[in-house]
Amino acid sequence: MVERGPWWTVAAAPLLLAALAALAVAADALLAARGAGRPVTLTAAARPFLALPRALVAGPRRLPAPDLLLWRAGVVTVPVAAVLSTLVIPFGNTVVADPSVGVVWFNAMEVTTWAALWLAGWGPNAAFSLIGGYRFLAQGLAYELPLMFALIAAATGAESLRVGDIAAAQQGLWYAVWMPVAFAAHLAGVLAFSFLGPFAHPAGRDAAGGVLGELSGPDRLLLQAGRWLWLASGAAMAVPLFLGGGAGPGLPAWAWSLVKTLLVLALLVVAARRLPVVRPDRYVELAWVVLVPLTILQVLVPALVVLGR
Amino acid sequence: MDLTRRALRAAAARPRVLPAALPGGTPARLEAERLLRLRDWPVAATPAGADLLLVTGPDCPALHDPLARLWGDLPAPRARVHAATAAEVASALDTGRERLAAWSGRGSGAQGHAGGNDRVQEPPEGGGGHAHGQADDGDTGTGMPMPGGLPMAETGPDRDGLALDRLHLALGPFLCDWPTGLTVRLVLQGDVVQEAVCEDPAAPGGTPFWSGPWLRAAAGEPVTAGAAARHRAAATCDSLGRLLAVAGWPEQAVAARRLRDGLLAGAPAGALRGPADRLARRVGRSRVLAWLTRGIGRVDGGRTGGSAPAGPPGADGDATDRYRRWLDRLGRDVRHLDDPAPLDPYATESPRGPWEPAHPPSAALLALLPALLVGAELAAARLIVAGLDPDPEELAGAGVAPRG
Repeated sequence: MVERGPWWTVAAAPLLLAALAALAVAADALLAARGAGRPVTLTAAARPFLALPRALVAGPRRLPAPDLLLWRAGVVTVPVAAVLSTLVIPFGNTVVADPSVGVVWFNAMEVTTWAALWLAGWGPNAAFSLIGGYRFLAQGLAYELPLMFALIAAATGAESLRVGDIAAAQQGLWYAVWMPVAFAAHLAGVLAFSFLGPFAHPAGRDAAGGVLGELSGPDRLLLQAGRWLWLASGAAMAVPLFLGGGAGPGLPAWAWSLVKTLLVLALLVVAARRLPVVRPDRYVELAWVVLVPLTILQVLVPALVVLGR
Repeated sequence: MDLTRRALRAAAARPRVLPAALPGGTPARLEAERLLRLRDWPVAATPAGADLLLVTGPDCPALHDPLARLWGDLPAPRARVHAATAAEVASALDTGRERLAAWSGRGSGAQGHAGGNDRVQEPPEGGGGHAHGQADDGDTGTGMPMPGGLPMAETGPDRDGLALDRLHLALGPFLCDWPTGLTVRLVLQGDVVQEAVCEDPAAPGGTPFWSGPWLRAAAGEPVTAGAAARHRAAATCDSLGRLLAVAGWPEQAVAARRLRDGLLAGAPAGALRGPADRLARRVGRSRVLAWLTRGIGRVDGGRTGGSAPAGPPGADGDATDRYRRWLDRLGRDVRHLDDPAPLDPYATESPRGPWEPAHPPSAALLALLPALLVGAELAAARLIVAGLDPDPEELAGAGVAPRG
């Protein structure tokens, strides 16, 4: 059973999340190196982290009439919300906090990125940046409902919003197996709230970097880190929701959690590179005409199963 | 402080480069893109995300002001280097890295200057593009103090009959994955283009790089069809790289640019066929990309008919049709790299369309742009430009083109 961990897990969870995010960045760098015809070495994997010393030495940048307070608030909120979202994600049989509405907590943290990214786009008072912020809102309209129905499907199956209960309820059969649509919608949602890969439109190159366009120094590092922290957090959340949490033969529960999280993370990193950016003006149609009805039907399946028990 | 110096040196191992390509400097731009890819120096989209401003191509006085604004926008530590020719690119990059590693905050006059008041003027470089209306002198005449001395946006009716703020935004002349030297002035409401005006591209003089074999053949020089096919294939890959980058598919954009670099470096035909076929398969058969570009920038080239703006036959259809035709042509070209027959410049299509000295094909593509851009969203507008990929160098070369 999932139990609340000792006090030090409050510090361990963010560190673990950061380590997972760093692994994802390194894996992405290796794939990029292979694609560009550069040697695929450990050095190639480590090079993205040179952004850390770069952020330390960055000088200040002055813009005409920026909204500094809201800008910074938006930029800081993204990584902070990602870290807070992990409080309810069990690692093995340990979780930092085990509220009875853990799924809602995760969802609430994820929804704060809506406001945060819009503010990050609004703050610098620049056209491309603002367009980037609005793009995330449009994207949110497309991905959020299917994601919510995916979370609800898992919660309905377990008759609980407690993440630990959902993991425990998958004895024998993972939800990913008999709720594949919800699982897929969750994975797509993870890429969307990390605004990476096919959902990188808010930071699109066609809008000169969008929400990232006017950021430099530590601010830029924070928002970039926020994306990868969210990717890691979403991958970790998929494990208790759809892949049976820490359950598995032979290995201890924490090892199973780690292995499953790494596999989901690898899948997301590869998928992010395989697809072009799916613009919200096209995706909204797909989301509302196809994905929302499909995920509603998906919720119906565990609902009927639970009623029939 | 020692720690600062060490951090500077570490960061300088991977500078983020803001490339600024000047008209007439295509070989230097291509060499820069190749070296940046091999060195893993990321290409920044805006001055804010860059450490190193890399100017490529021959000096162009008309673009001094936009360049100065780009430079003023780079945050410290920063360096600026200029490579006029392809041969100078490698040493310019090394110089830039050394300057960044040894950056002391003095000499370059950067600190506190970055993003100064020169930004208040409407910046045409595209990297910034601040969200204001008519930015003439920051004074609206009402005597009311405006935030940051900036004028408020004026309003105008939008497509739904609402009065919305109008945003004046210039795309180019320095914008990532954008035709060199092109400037398009837009009036936006939200991110929908209401008005679009193409400025006359900055004139480089000299021969346009991509249509070079056609010009040389027309002037009577011996050019083989194989060499022209190689050149055209490389031009196609260059255009595809831009389109895929704008479409947000960096993996395939890199693949297209790698293939381009291989073609230009003279790699044997056998080694290029595999990557070309792979690109055609992954991109040409991608249903997702086709779904995303379907219906964007529809042109009536005389084949389809309908209400779309009329254009040259080569531009017929929408963005999807056009990139699929590029890929088909690329597939044909990589099979004719060793064709020893002489090139007939009038029978063989040049990279941007049938070559006519007085009417270079890019002129027709540029003329199409305003009508296609109006009503498009910014993302679609970028796809339209990248999908037609006019080459402004051809226009400048038209005046000196010899008659065949």
